[in-house]
Amino acid sequence: MQNQEEQVADGKRAAFEFEPKGEDCSSSILGNSILHSDGVGADLTQQQQHEEELAISSLQQNVPFVGDKEPLSALAAEYQSGSPILIEKIKILSDQYAAIRRTRGDGNCFFRGFMFSYLEHILLTQDRLEVDRVKNNVEDCRKMLQSLGYVEFTFEDFFSLFLEQLDCVIEGNESSISYDELLNRSRDQSVSDYVVMFFRFVTSGEIQKRSEFFEPFILGLTNATVEQFCKSAVEPMGEESDHVQITALSDALGVPIRVVYLDRSSCDTGGISVNHHDFIPATGNPPNAADGSSETFNPFITLLYRPGHYDILYPK
Amino acid sequence: MQASRARLFKEYKEVQREKSADPDIQLVCDDSNIFKWTALIKGPSETPYEGGVFQLAFSVPEQYPLQPPQVRFLTKIFHPNVHFKTGEICLDILKNAWSPAWTLQSVCRAIIALMAHPEPDSPLNCDSGNLLRSGDVRGYQSMARMYTRLAASPKKG
Repeated sequence: MQNQEEQVADGKRAAFEFEPKGEDCSSSILGNSILHSDGVGADLTQQQQHEEELAISSLQQNVPFVGDKEPLSALAAEYQSGSPILIEKIKILSDQYAAIRRTRGDGNCFFRGFMFSYLEHILLTQDRLEVDRVKNNVEDCRKMLQSLGYVEFTFEDFFSLFLEQLDCVIEGNESSISYDELLNRSRDQSVSDYVVMFFRFVTSGEIQKRSEFFEPFILGLTNATVEQFCKSAVEPMGEESDHVQITALSDALGVPIRVVYLDRSSCDTGGISVNHHDFIPATGNPPNAADGSSETFNPFITLLYRPGHYDILYPK
Repeated sequence: MQASRARLFKEYKEVQREKSADPDIQLVCDDSNIFKWTALIKGPSETPYEGGVFQLAFSVPEQYPLQPPQVRFLTKIFHPNVHFKTGEICLDILKNAWSPAWTLQSVCRAIIALMAHPEPDSPLNCDSGNLLRSGDVRGYQSMARMYTRLAASPKKG
């Protein structure tokens, strides 16, 4: 009986020539606004998109999660025969910035860049006050996730791994590590991905905690609710970050971030300038809150944004 | 490997402690391998799967929980998003929308939700998807109910 049915099923299937591959299917219980396609045509384009993404990600496999520090001239070399606007902008950048450190373009580049920049800053400055301050904020994030109903064991491993890295970059502990070891760990998937995931949990918790604030921005991006957005665009590894995620992470940890934009935009007045945006924590106690003036704003994390990707920039 | 084992052990303890919390799900770890689990889930009420008990097989990768578990139906089921022969399940959280915030237990809940809310536009079982897409809800329901009786009903007597 069952066999018969299977045969019937197969016969019918042959008549309809569109069986999307398993990988491309998109049944969603997170709400169908973001990930869900609308029928056959959409499935095809989604599949093409998926293939392109795969092609890109296989190229990216050769790039380490966090690259070596390169002089800014390496960036200029990339655009040698490129758009004059970009060449001009890189020239301007080289007045202020000395070096670039690339991150792998696997959708986690913002978090990965933030991770390395932040830990590197602590390692170089040995700023224990900053470590204490951020640990307090991490504790608040933990409580926030609990109160949002997250099961503790689903996120605690990621939290403890980040706290462990924080302790490691401070000298004088048994577990203290060198600069090279920090680089090794940032390239080691089992550490690097766990820290990225820690940031994703923190970001998600912050967005949900202040859902009224973030809701209009999220509605501008998708039709999703705040919770759906967090479940589908923040928590899964490989989901790219944008303004919403950066704002939330900066706020949650109380760490200011400068993002420098390298794109083809230019202003009408003729002059070319490089835009940047400072993410200044809205809540908590940011590191240089005392002086309060934006003139002296001195972020210790600067990221270079090119459409779709973040790398680390080093000021002169 | 060590991390995934530790995490699975936490899930195991949680399942033991909350055994009666979710009467629709019975999640069991293989005696000798913590990376292999099976689950018995009850077909949701007011669906053609009501009254059926469905067995799921979990195979957990070493990169868990950064990567999702592989889950498939061992019990034959007629559902647009489940492959009729292999039992493969088409569900976003088992693929690109996975995150470590999910657990084996909450995956079971998500699968029960999928049983109650089929998504015929992304079918793994085209016959089932086509019935729903063409508006033949009765046809879909009677097929699904038949297979629930044939394959998923506890033996009587």
